[in-house]
Amino acid sequence: MSTLDAAVPTAQPSLAARFRLPTGPIQFLGFDKDYWRLWIRGSILLAFTLGIYRFWLTTDTRRFLWSNTEVLGEPLEYTGTARELLIGFLIAVAILIPFYAFVFLLALTQGLVGQLAGVIGFLLATVLGHYAIYRARRYRLSRTVFRGVRFHQTGSAWLYAIMAVLWWTVIILTLGLAYPIALSRLERFKMRNTWLGNLQGRFEGSAAGLFVRGLFMWLLVVGPLIGSLVAFILALDPALLRELVSTNDDDALTRLVEAHPGVAFASAFGIGALIWAMVAGILLYPVFQAMVLRWWSSGLRFGDMAASSSLRTGEVYATYLRYIGWSIVFSTIATFALLVVGSAVAALLWATGVLEKEWFSSVGEIAVAILGVVTYVAFALGYAAIYQVKVRLGLWRALANSTGLSNAATLETISSVGAPASPVGEGLADALNVGGF
Amino acid sequence: MSTSGQATYFDGVTSARHDVTVTLGASALQIIASDGQVLAEWSYAELESIPSPQGLLRIGRIDNPVLARLDVRDAKLAAAIDDLSVPIDRSGRTERRGRRRVVFWSLAATVSLLLVAIYGVPEIASRLTPIVPYAAEIRLGAAVDAQVRSILDKSGAGSRFVCGSAEAEQAGRAAFDKMFARLEQAAGQPIPLRIMVVRNDDANAVTLPGGIVYVFNGLIEKAENPDEVAGVIAHELGHVAHRDGTRTVLQHGAMSLLFGLLLGDFVGGGAVIIAAKAILQTSYSRGVEAAADDYAVDLMKTLGADPRALGTILSRIAGSSHGSLKLLLDHPETKDRVNAINARAGAAPTGAILTPSEWADVRRICSGSKG
Repeated sequence: MSTLDAAVPTAQPSLAARFRLPTGPIQFLGFDKDYWRLWIRGSILLAFTLGIYRFWLTTDTRRFLWSNTEVLGEPLEYTGTARELLIGFLIAVAILIPFYAFVFLLALTQGLVGQLAGVIGFLLATVLGHYAIYRARRYRLSRTVFRGVRFHQTGSAWLYAIMAVLWWTVIILTLGLAYPIALSRLERFKMRNTWLGNLQGRFEGSAAGLFVRGLFMWLLVVGPLIGSLVAFILALDPALLRELVSTNDDDALTRLVEAHPGVAFASAFGIGALIWAMVAGILLYPVFQAMVLRWWSSGLRFGDMAASSSLRTGEVYATYLRYIGWSIVFSTIATFALLVVGSAVAALLWATGVLEKEWFSSVGEIAVAILGVVTYVAFALGYAAIYQVKVRLGLWRALANSTGLSNAATLETISSVGAPASPVGEGLADALNVGGF
Repeated sequence: MSTSGQATYFDGVTSARHDVTVTLGASALQIIASDGQVLAEWSYAELESIPSPQGLLRIGRIDNPVLARLDVRDAKLAAAIDDLSVPIDRSGRTERRGRRRVVFWSLAATVSLLLVAIYGVPEIASRLTPIVPYAAEIRLGAAVDAQVRSILDKSGAGSRFVCGSAEAEQAGRAAFDKMFARLEQAAGQPIPLRIMVVRNDDANAVTLPGGIVYVFNGLIEKAENPDEVAGVIAHELGHVAHRDGTRTVLQHGAMSLLFGLLLGDFVGGGAVIIAAKAILQTSYSRGVEAAADDYAVDLMKTLGADPRALGTILSRIAGSSHGSLKLLLDHPETKDRVNAINARAGAAPTGAILTPSEWADVRRICSGSKG
């Protein structure tokens, strides 16, 4: 049926139509309760298996998200398995053990190399981390199927890793001003190497556009910090600074401040600016995230098909507010439960007279420490589950439902190309703690 | 039971959508295009259901590299296919059975990992420690020394961190060295020892691999006689003799590998791993401390010094800083330790290790140029 108008599937009533959801080309159809069930069960198993269950939970999560995302009336499909992830992880461990041993040996070397071992290790791990991120993306894409056609990714992961490290260095050196250009360059590289069957992707988001939109926010958050830095430098006296470096006693700083009231002012300004940057950064983060997501989604292209995003900033805010609200409710209930259980146990111990026993003090110590760990794990996993349902699922749904596609008929005539890629990248990313989705 | 129905077919070669009629035969289903052409015939045994939203049965073929898909939205047809095909598992029973196996073996792996961490790792570390060459141990000590110093040097004394170099301190240094020379000779260790009194107000002492011992000024201030200081140093020499520093490094390495690398870090599990390691380390350190106590008592007896002094200063330190969880966790019940020390000490004849004037000098070892 090539006569079909892709934007309005007519052959079968789509699920979106049956559930009377607002109809866009992309629909997310999953329910919160199913995702809750997945994550609550998953969190408990994660705790009891010290995290081994994560391969299954990750796979379940992706299956849920992919298979409930309908593009032009057809759900996406995730064909990866937990077994693949586990094997990929084991291979990654085999690769990383010599790496860690090498860094450890470096640290034992005398002289400059030994002192720099930490820095060298960090640099190597950073490059390896970006390499893993790119290869993990290759694995996920090659396990994503749309209408019986597989996505795949080409391009050298090492090249990407070097580009990413260089761009991130530039971002840090420019205090974030280079973020738009860096992001657009990296995204261009990734999308140019992304294929759906024989249909090549590309990225057309403009760095200048993102820069202009983000500049005001940057000035608002980072501006005062730079101002305080400038004030500090202006207030400093080079001669006094030399004295400060050479004497190195406790009162030097006091004398410096007394001699230069400007320094005290600049320091106070700096502390204020830092607090401001943190508060403003947190409050503005949803605005920033919505802006970047809109920009990113609107820049995606596959052949003639172009995506556009109408994601509302308010929706991203609401997502985070729901997360905070749920977290507060969870904290209250969990703390209350902890207090009730704790006092019940204490009362029981007191009533039975165990508290007086000689052996109790050492056993009690270990018990308290274990209880502390258990409580910590329970809280951490609780927050993680709430984050998953409220933020990750919320953003996924908001982004999917707000994305439009033009020239979607392109998707009708793709031929199958590409083979499933190795899961080692995912394993590396997992072992290095840089895993994405 | 319906034997045919409408569905959507993707052939896995192109993304084109085919509206098809599915006819259910005896052992296979036929996928027929609207012009009557048979597009595919799939036997029931090779079918698999693929995760899909509610109301949609998506069928593929097991282990087939061609990703052909049949999307069935007709509930009756979906139920009929489910009945005919064994691998199609809409109720999720097969899936649940597989999942139970995963959970069981994950739990088994966790248990075996914990057992190895509790019993295996200390045993392996103990067996490996004597094989580690002293040259490697000295190198290891030098590597961690700078780090440890920067941690211990809380007041930022820098080059004046080590006591005994200022003029007012030199007599103390000489007396202290005399006491240490006696202890070192009696201990007879195969590597040269390096001991330093440092400006730190905690009542404590630390031993690094490679025979480096730091005695804190706070300990000397807390001590009431030289034998108490000697007792603590003898305890630290016990750590040197048992090569506890090297063993700890081996244990830490093995634990990092077990917990950190193998288990990874999912939802900020890093802190949990650190806590778990701390708890396990505590249980190791209890035995280690008791062994060092025994060594100290024997050494003090050899020297004819008071072997009970170590117990006396331990009780004093524990008494003045009670409620400090760190000390409690690091050391077995102080009372138990003191009892064990006294029992081993017996009624040995004792004499002070330094003269009163020498002891007075030692107490001034960190007195010089106080900031």
